[in-house]
Amino acid sequence: MNNQKLFISSHAPYWHNMSSISAKSCHIMLAALPAVIMGIYQYGIPALGVVTFSVSCAMFWELIMNLVTKRPVSIGDGNAAVIGLLFAMLLPATTPWWIVLIGTFLAIIIGKEIYGGIGCNPLNPTLVALAMIMLSWKSYIDFDGALVNYDLAFLMKYPLEALKHFGTSAISEHTAVGLLMGRQSGGIGATFGLGLIIGGLYLILRGYIRWEISLSFLVGVFVTAFLFNISDPVTYAGPVFHLLTGYTLIGAFFLATEDSSSPVNFIPMLLYGAGAGCFTILIRNIGAFADGTVFAILLFNVANPLLDKIKPKAMGKGLEHA
Amino acid sequence: MEIKAERKVAYFIAIIFFFIGVICYAAFPIKKPEEPIRIMLTSTAGNVLFDHKEHASEDGYGIECLECHHTMEEGDTPEACGECHEAEEEDGILKKSDAFHGKCKICHEDEGSGPLKCAECHAM
Repeated sequence: MNNQKLFISSHAPYWHNMSSISAKSCHIMLAALPAVIMGIYQYGIPALGVVTFSVSCAMFWELIMNLVTKRPVSIGDGNAAVIGLLFAMLLPATTPWWIVLIGTFLAIIIGKEIYGGIGCNPLNPTLVALAMIMLSWKSYIDFDGALVNYDLAFLMKYPLEALKHFGTSAISEHTAVGLLMGRQSGGIGATFGLGLIIGGLYLILRGYIRWEISLSFLVGVFVTAFLFNISDPVTYAGPVFHLLTGYTLIGAFFLATEDSSSPVNFIPMLLYGAGAGCFTILIRNIGAFADGTVFAILLFNVANPLLDKIKPKAMGKGLEHA
Repeated sequence: MEIKAERKVAYFIAIIFFFIGVICYAAFPIKKPEEPIRIMLTSTAGNVLFDHKEHASEDGYGIECLECHHTMEEGDTPEACGECHEAEEEDGILKKSDAFHGKCKICHEDEGSGPLKCAECHAM
């Protein structure tokens, strides 16, 4: 006889463990805070303006959509605020207000609400908005052009742009420690590597994001960049540089891990993360854009439903004597 | 927290953040420094990121203002190149691209340093 206890359950009533979407949103925002604070510290009040305006606009767009569609008001769950915050973190500190207004509209309405709201969006709403803004108003997302009036105490050329156009000689001044400590130009909340890593680890330890996606994304970036680097060290930068520049870390911990656009099974999660990481470097090294994170993650968002079909584990399947 | 209370907090945060955002945009516009740091020169051949500070400062190349701002009189604030040099040549004044190419390339050649090939400047 089989004495193995397969599944133990008890009758109702059940005790709610007090987890909620709003708690999750709060923890994500808390995890993002170190990187955001560093961005505001570096770029000053304009960065604060972009962050606060983006969060509030995202919440207002969601509220407007709730009222128009006559559905329950859902801004209390904090998801719109998270989307607004992440969108602001990817922008230059000098982004005009109307780009923020349009961007949050694209993220909330086009990226999320038209699919039915939270949990129904096939693509990451933040990245949908940023991709559309990048393609429509490229000059406002060009960090070199947007940050011409800033003279911080480090090399102000956007590292990935410098690498793409001038090769590794243009990035020789950057050190891994400097990049980790945010000594690079870029998005308001995307440059402080250490803060993003701490925030990401916090979310992993609290169980709000899956380590499989973050780790496989970083491994995908590392391995692909390493292969390019050993093939031509003059043209292609090393893997550590790619890990610490552009949107890599914010992508690994805050963007690729978005719930409804990422897989839920183990192997699909690894394939999704590794694929997005690999494509990030392919786009950076041989594609048209300096940073490929946005399009790489969006591409694998599209592949997500197919990836999740790989070996789904059916309940009770594979158990002996079942 | 109950859903109603969460909603109230969200309304409060949205309104407060909106006002902070509007105040930041309206009351603290991005100030241009008196002397430009970097200038993004737009061009159909590819934009050029010109590091003004590095060219002008004593710690950099230390080039005199008059070398480029040739109409400037002593004590005056230099005018931007685009004030006189238009996209097309007018009244004998060189068009902007010719003026830039003349100044930049000749100086780079004379000094034996700095980019000379198109893609070395027109990279952005």
